[in-house]
Amino acid sequence: MSETVLATRGLTSGYGKAVICQDVTLALSTGQIICIIGPNGAGKSTLLKTIAGVVRPISGSVQVAGREIAGLSAAQVARSGMAYVPQEANVFRQLTTHENLAMGAWGDPARTDKARARVYDMFPDLRSLRRERAGNLSGGQRQMVAFGMALMLEPQVLLLDEPSAGLSPLMVRQMFDIVRRVNAEGVAILMVEQNAIEGLRIAHRGLVMAAGRVAFEGAAEELLTSKEVSDLYLGTRA
Amino acid sequence: MSLQMIINALVNAALIAPPAMAFSLLFGILRFPNFAIGGYITVGAFAAYTFNVVFGLSLPLAAAGAMAFTALVVWGTHIIVFRPMQEQSAITLLVVSMAVTLILENVIRFFFSSDVRGFDIPLERPWKVMNAHITPEQLQIIAWSLVIGVSLHLLLAHTRIGRAMRAVADNPMLAAIRGVNAARVTAFTTAVCGALFGLTGVFAGLDLVIEPLVGWNLTIPIFAAAILGGIGSPYGAILGALLVGLAEEATILVLPSTYKVAVGFVIIAVLLLLRPQGLFGTAEIKK
Amino acid sequence: MSAYLISMSTFVGFFMILALALNLQWGITGMVNFGVAGFYALGAYTSGLLAVKLGIPVGLAILAACLAGMSMGAVVALLSMRLREDFLAIVTLGVGEIIRLIVLNEDEITEGPRGLRIDAQPFGTLVGPELYPVFYLGLVALCVVLTYVVCESIRRAPMGRTLRAIREDDVVAEVLGKNVFLHRVCIFAVGGFFMGLAGALYAHYVQNISPEVFMPVLAMFIWMSVIVGGAGNNRGILLGAGTVMVFLEGTRFIGDFVDVLDAEKMSALRIILIGLLLILTLRLRPRGLLPEPKFRVNSN
Repeated sequence: MSETVLATRGLTSGYGKAVICQDVTLALSTGQIICIIGPNGAGKSTLLKTIAGVVRPISGSVQVAGREIAGLSAAQVARSGMAYVPQEANVFRQLTTHENLAMGAWGDPARTDKARARVYDMFPDLRSLRRERAGNLSGGQRQMVAFGMALMLEPQVLLLDEPSAGLSPLMVRQMFDIVRRVNAEGVAILMVEQNAIEGLRIAHRGLVMAAGRVAFEGAAEELLTSKEVSDLYLGTRA
Repeated sequence: MSLQMIINALVNAALIAPPAMAFSLLFGILRFPNFAIGGYITVGAFAAYTFNVVFGLSLPLAAAGAMAFTALVVWGTHIIVFRPMQEQSAITLLVVSMAVTLILENVIRFFFSSDVRGFDIPLERPWKVMNAHITPEQLQIIAWSLVIGVSLHLLLAHTRIGRAMRAVADNPMLAAIRGVNAARVTAFTTAVCGALFGLTGVFAGLDLVIEPLVGWNLTIPIFAAAILGGIGSPYGAILGALLVGLAEEATILVLPSTYKVAVGFVIIAVLLLLRPQGLFGTAEIKK
Repeated sequence: MSAYLISMSTFVGFFMILALALNLQWGITGMVNFGVAGFYALGAYTSGLLAVKLGIPVGLAILAACLAGMSMGAVVALLSMRLREDFLAIVTLGVGEIIRLIVLNEDEITEGPRGLRIDAQPFGTLVGPELYPVFYLGLVALCVVLTYVVCESIRRAPMGRTLRAIREDDVVAEVLGKNVFLHRVCIFAVGGFFMGLAGALYAHYVQNISPEVFMPVLAMFIWMSVIVGGAGNNRGILLGAGTVMVFLEGTRFIGDFVDVLDAEKMSALRIILIGLLLILTLRLRPRGLLPEPKFRVNSN
């Protein structure tokens, strides 16, 4: 029997007076992957940022494993067992790979060495890059560092903002393999993806956002084969 | 280049290297060149003077007191003036930082007047090294500057808080996302920088004079050293300080000594036009 | 008392010209000039030295000062167009300081700290000594009006509006090409022209100039006038310059009432108060007393 590990209810947020997300309700269960897709400007990133505490919600609730976290700062949210990987500026460019990963374990420094060894096992390429400054790495390598950082403290929930952005097709495949592997170890994942096909392929459920609201919601395969969704959002229509 | 010139250049460099490192650290947090450092250094010099001459403490104790006091002042101005205004444009912050330095300098001028003062320390004769002179104070400045440089390096590279300082300077939002209390780290950084500026004030009092303008006169060479080394790189600042020290001494060979101050400006201008990131820097200085 | 008011108003006039010129440079070209004191000094010493050492008629000397300011403006603009504003401030501050150092150091020519005594005055022989201060005030007022008119015209002209709109946006500027670049240089140079004018007027008024007047603090006062008044808005600038000068002068009077403080302490206190005023203004009303009217997109 799986339980809800992340839930939002009626979540509304935006910047200043501009409301970007309206009344978003979703529930993520243990071990589940939900992929959020939708056109640009639909509010997908903002939703993720709001859940992560980077943007203050205007109204609504966000609960992680039953604990209310809406309105907490990003640093406080980081202690709730949820880790957020932003789309851009997601590594400390001046710090080495090794140091970046250490920052991932800021909340519990005693676990740093063990956690880092685990991340190197999962991303063997990073081990050879560990003394390199993150700013000197390629896009794909930086994504791995960003991912690795988030995994250091073994979060229950991962928030991923466009993990495949800017990656070559080969790297995209690799990235989604990693997402699948991480999920197989029991981490629930809420993922925003522009690459809707690949994203829905590895997800259990999908959520389509448009103009700040949830337009469709359902099992991932259904959304993949749904004509309306594919015409409008997956780009099968010329 | 004679040995005396090299010694002078080393002393110059030792004087501006620690504050240049501190300036680089501050720039990482504040993202604008902070002119208040002139005022901070002057505060350090006069605080040390007060502890030493007015209260009769030995110079090392006075220096420690000055470092603590200046740390408090820097932290205070950060909380009261700069942090509440951090959303405003860089130029506004620059003008505000100039106002802060003017206020600090003139508060000191109000209580101490513009008279030139010196520490109450035993007068020592300079030592002769081949055909050059070096005073024991100058040797102390160089030695302590080295100690500070090494300590700061150890702090930044090998401690948890040091790593956090660099992370917050690099990407404050990401640091928060990873759970760092950016406000607390920033406050700690300002305190560390404050201690460094306080120490610079003590050195300036030892090697130059204690007067309200002592900090302002060092501001431009410090900027030059930091920009030359690459703003954002505290290590580059050390190399930058050495080069600025050498350049200043070399200039005196050809031009009258009043132009020494201009050297810093010229270095800054040339750098910003040709290679804004300096030697090791990464920060954005061009639009 | 009235002699004092006339004198103070004349000084306000110098400030106003400097502030208007600075706002022209900042408001239109987006280039921050902290070397105002240097341009001011350049104007003062060019006019003064030409009149005293070479016997050149005052009118021509003043014109030469304006042209000197203009040339300096063009050179600075050409060299530093692409710098971020706060670093450009440091570079221009450097230019100003170097000018001051040259003046201080080459004292065989400039008399340095001893002070350069300038006897020649515009129309000095035509107007009698009792009326002269009033006449000079009128002359300065005329120059303020001239500066205001020129600055406003540039601001309102189509090129002025375009430049203002894109001053922060280098990408757009680059697309629009060299034309824009040259216009920016020219406008910055015009600002320099008026700063040189202010310097020359100052020199022939006080009749004794020395480098201590041209310190970086002056740049702060002029920037204060611009910021307090409301950057971009020329009327606001006039208000700002007036406010700053009133404040500077007004605090002098406190000395009459408070005997405990000597001249040095008074001077220090005044600067402290000005600094606080600046910080408070920027905290509470960052856009100034009369901020720039919002840019409206309509066809004119």
